[in-house]
Amino acid sequence: MAAAALREQLNALLASMFASGLVDEQFQQLQMLQDDGSTPGFVAEVVTLFCDDADRIISELAALLEQPVVDFDKVDAYVHQLKGSSASIGAQKVKFTCMQFRQLCQDKNRDGCIMALAVVRNEFYDLRNKFQTMLQLEQQIQAQQ
Amino acid sequence: MAVGGGVEVEEGVTRVLLVDDSPVDRRVAQLLLSSASCAGSFHVIAVDSAKKAMEFLGLKDGKEQAIDMVLTDYCMPEMTGYDLLKAVKALNPLKPIPVIVMSSEDEPQRISRCLSAGAEDFIVKPLQSKDVQRLRNCSTGRPNKGSPPCECDAAAKRKPLVLPPSAADASPSGRRANFAGVAMVLHSSRVELSQYFPLLLKLVVLVYAVLCVGELLHRWSSRGGCSLALWCA
Repeated sequence: MAAAALREQLNALLASMFASGLVDEQFQQLQMLQDDGSTPGFVAEVVTLFCDDADRIISELAALLEQPVVDFDKVDAYVHQLKGSSASIGAQKVKFTCMQFRQLCQDKNRDGCIMALAVVRNEFYDLRNKFQTMLQLEQQIQAQQ
Repeated sequence: MAVGGGVEVEEGVTRVLLVDDSPVDRRVAQLLLSSASCAGSFHVIAVDSAKKAMEFLGLKDGKEQAIDMVLTDYCMPEMTGYDLLKAVKALNPLKPIPVIVMSSEDEPQRISRCLSAGAEDFIVKPLQSKDVQRLRNCSTGRPNKGSPPCECDAAAKRKPLVLPPSAADASPSGRRANFAGVAMVLHSSRVELSQYFPLLLKLVVLVYAVLCVGELLHRWSSRGGCSLALWCA
């Protein structure tokens, strides 16, 4: 049955996301809460919120790092925000990169920060793609039922 | 953020004012509190700044508080969660609203600062469903008598250890003050700290007391106290 095949695909995707360290137990917890039944669409909602938030922060960071004189306090504040929200939904890889990024901010290392931003951006895009696939699969499974 | 006036809820529902500048964290907290494990127990009002929280609480000035508990993030622009904590406690000193502080940083100094300012608990983010039980235990809506010991221990473990007063005093009256302090420490250690600390503390204090007594006896005897000299002989 199509739904079963879709479910298998979804489970495989989630398993690979965990195995590669893209997401951690926090994400698993949020999924379990959704599966409890009282708050359907929980994960889709927070994932969407996170992606919008992260997109906004990354744009702000890019603008700040392009300035002739970089305001490292502002950069640090944004990275702190991104670290916080990625921790809250369990986006482990992004969170760890943010931790390193913060250290570079504190060292006032401009080139280091620019490189860290590139890494965060790539990791975030990768995560966002996987989240989008995950949400599409969930929607298709819902449609079958 | 829509902020209503009086919040009418059923008996046994805890009204939580959630304060966090991060939209993701706010949503996660809201959803955790409304999940199946605590269905119907919490009514959450979310605001994105401490200023808005104060405005909301200020509306109820003089009247019965519409909020059973404040759950606030520590790091926020303009007004921090710590400032909000102090302001909330100052609102009604006779019956202060419970405040729980959340932070992504697990910093002992920050934690003890908040607890000293009167916070009921300090939760390290990210917020998880197991933290929800701690919220339930801290609200005014529920009596604290039945609260599980692990929750109190969690808060107590983060309190700074009460150390015995230093032995800097030379005078006998100073020593007596130290003994009183030591007795207070013993009492407080029994009440506040977890199982292991009082034992260790009592041991340290006993040794210290023995040393003090020994020194006192030595001084009294060296001053030529007649009856005591027989004891030391």
